[in-house]
Amino acid sequence: MKESYSLVFNIKRFDPEKGKSWMQTYRIEAGRILRFTDVLRKINKELDPTLAWNSSCEHAQCGSCSVVINGRPMLACELLVENAVELFGTTVFTIEPIGVAPVLRDLVVDLEKAYDRVHRIRPFIIRPSQNPNQGQEYRISPRAMEGYLEATRCINCFCCATACMSSHRGFMGPNAVMASVVRIMDPREDATDERLQQLYSEEGVYRCHTSKACSHVCPKEIDVAHFVALAKEGEFS
Amino acid sequence: MSKMFKLSSKIQCDVLIVGAGGAGLRCAAHILEKRPGTKIIAVTKVSHPQKSHTSTAQGGLAAVDPQDRVDKPIYHMFDTWKGSDCMADQAVVRKIVDAAWEEIVWLENRGMHFTRDEEGRLSKRTFGGHTVRFGEASAFRAVFEADRTGKGIMDNVWGEALKGGVAFLDQALLTELLIQNDRCVGAVLFKEKTGEFVAVSAGATVLATGGCGQVFRVTTNCRQNTGDAHAVALQAGLPLMDMEAVQFHPTGIVGPGILASETLRSVGGILRNKDLEPFMARYAPKMKELAPRDLVARAIETEIREGRGILNPDHGIEHVWIDLRHLSDYVHSVQIPEVSGFFKQFMNLDPRTQLCPVRPSNHYQMGGIPTNACGEVQRSPDAVVSGLYAAGECGCASFHGFNRLGTNSILELITMGRFVGERVLQALSEAAGRLPADAGDRTYARFAGYLENGNEENIDQIREDMRRMMTENVGVFRTEEGLETAIRSLADSAERVRSAALRCRSLQMNQELVQRWELDNLLSVSMVIAQGALRRRESRGGHARVDFPQRRDEFNSHTLAYMTEFGKIRFASRSVDMSLFEAKAENHEKFGLIERKY
Repeated sequence: MKESYSLVFNIKRFDPEKGKSWMQTYRIEAGRILRFTDVLRKINKELDPTLAWNSSCEHAQCGSCSVVINGRPMLACELLVENAVELFGTTVFTIEPIGVAPVLRDLVVDLEKAYDRVHRIRPFIIRPSQNPNQGQEYRISPRAMEGYLEATRCINCFCCATACMSSHRGFMGPNAVMASVVRIMDPREDATDERLQQLYSEEGVYRCHTSKACSHVCPKEIDVAHFVALAKEGEFS
Repeated sequence: MSKMFKLSSKIQCDVLIVGAGGAGLRCAAHILEKRPGTKIIAVTKVSHPQKSHTSTAQGGLAAVDPQDRVDKPIYHMFDTWKGSDCMADQAVVRKIVDAAWEEIVWLENRGMHFTRDEEGRLSKRTFGGHTVRFGEASAFRAVFEADRTGKGIMDNVWGEALKGGVAFLDQALLTELLIQNDRCVGAVLFKEKTGEFVAVSAGATVLATGGCGQVFRVTTNCRQNTGDAHAVALQAGLPLMDMEAVQFHPTGIVGPGILASETLRSVGGILRNKDLEPFMARYAPKMKELAPRDLVARAIETEIREGRGILNPDHGIEHVWIDLRHLSDYVHSVQIPEVSGFFKQFMNLDPRTQLCPVRPSNHYQMGGIPTNACGEVQRSPDAVVSGLYAAGECGCASFHGFNRLGTNSILELITMGRFVGERVLQALSEAAGRLPADAGDRTYARFAGYLENGNEENIDQIREDMRRMMTENVGVFRTEEGLETAIRSLADSAERVRSAALRCRSLQMNQELVQRWELDNLLSVSMVIAQGALRRRESRGGHARVDFPQRRDEFNSHTLAYMTEFGKIRFASRSVDMSLFEAKAENHEKFGLIERKY
């Protein structure tokens, strides 16, 4: 087992003040189980404190650190050096910001803009259905939840939207569709028609080309395409 | 001063919420439900509210179901009081425990995906320290959403805040509180994305920025938990309370710091040192691995200190092993799949065949900005700053005292968030004050100082040194000598950082600049923790003094620490509310100065 790797990180940089972008190469030695966020921190400390990147929880629960590594959108916090070397068969990595929002600096994108799509589908119960047990919880059987529970694990890292061939051109994107489908399937939501109307609108599911890239890249291993397909197949109308 | 340093705009709103995690947005949602159209601005340091630290809470949310025939609120109050090592404020404990189930129903009715039982009702599970009949048996009291309860709460309060029309300001920092005549009239913010400073005038300002776990080298806290509101409150002349009360979890996974839950030990995991000796037998001959958290944490720390730890070369962190190799396939796949998964995901090892590295990890700050039971910030034990509130981990009404029970943290943030909302609604009719003419000046002085030429001192290096030093001297083990070393070292670090040079001199999206500011905050908070720990010559809850191993009644009051100049702390104290005991009602004796023994 190799203890440490000599890595080459080719990082796409952007300076917002000069409006200039360029590729910058960093050569760095990194232990085998460092995460890519650890390596970025190491670059900050040892080579270049100006390199900007985003993260928060750093254990794959918040979805802040998504970047495109050798063409594949991933969470930098859960990619270990030795796994990356094995996955891509190289020690040379090109790292770019995800493409679904404007770049603020280097690898940091304006996630607020990416989230606009999620906000548009209204990620809450729009109109609560009648609860027969006023003042108590709704009764929902575990089996009724089975159909959509998987989708509630989504952390909006936008890896799926980045990989999606349609989401750069007017499609609301797989994660937004999935968030709406969750509420359509949730018995506590009454505004199903409004939701379907939006899913079948210009920015809706028919823009999906069923490449299933979303499911392929999802760090939470959610079958995103399945939920998009449910809407496409008219499962709810 | 350069022309970069000016207010780009002045904004007016009814309520400014700083920190858009569980507490902040629960507060926002409550206000908007009761008073639609209230103009609320919610500021977050992270790139979107959903990225808040609340999202990472796993276990559950403690609340007594009124339909439960066994469990009662009084038991939950007792467990919290006992767990707190007699330092929780009983009026607060009562208020939160009594409101708990309403909050669960609120969350569920608005769409949280709680795990259900066969009848479609909310499932409940047991958790350490939660009992029925005053310690007799484990209580089924924690409702949960699989292993992502915090995310469930976060998604829900974010959705409700959005529905109600909150204006969000992402990636912005609170740099200055504007207080005039003991009234908070708003705050100065720094917008990271554009590098602009804004002054916000608000009828109510709510602090909900979370904890300060980044003070320590190994922590379960997210990267942004750097004690920002704590430091800004200190600068405004306000006190912090009980900051020496820090919770460490005995077994964090080396690297990401995530918890390797107690379950690993309860299913038979064995702690071993570098010689593979099962060392717990020396510390707790009977209980061994099942000894209480603090004892296990100190045993691990002792092994490491005495040279029997193992250094992880990649992370540069010393640890011991937890051995799970002898456990059956069934245990691995059914009882501990998540934690096993974490070792695989972040250490690339298989717990069935390999030893797993763990060490104590900082987890929670029990202390914070002192508030009363409504969440109003106190400037002294008997006076509040009107218009200023705090909730969640950054606040301290003192629900947890000196030690927090599992599943009580997200209960605290959700209930205190609502209580603050209730109080804000009552106070909104009071006229908001005018912004002071010098709003922003203190912020500019600070930021201009950061951007001035310095020498080659490296911020990352200073921060790393500080975090290691704090872990070593102010962590699970505290001694007079260690704490004095820590205080001297923090003063040195503050000196070093003064002359640190930033390579990126821009205000716009400058990560280095933000980290420089955070380092100031971390140093301030660390200093308060270290000095508070030095002064408290006893052991209580999360605060363990090796040289004073017993709890002492003379320290039975909250520490208040004021620090307007770095290192110069003025201490005061606030008495512990014992109203449940003093009410002399049935079972009141359970709320006296009882022993924390399990």
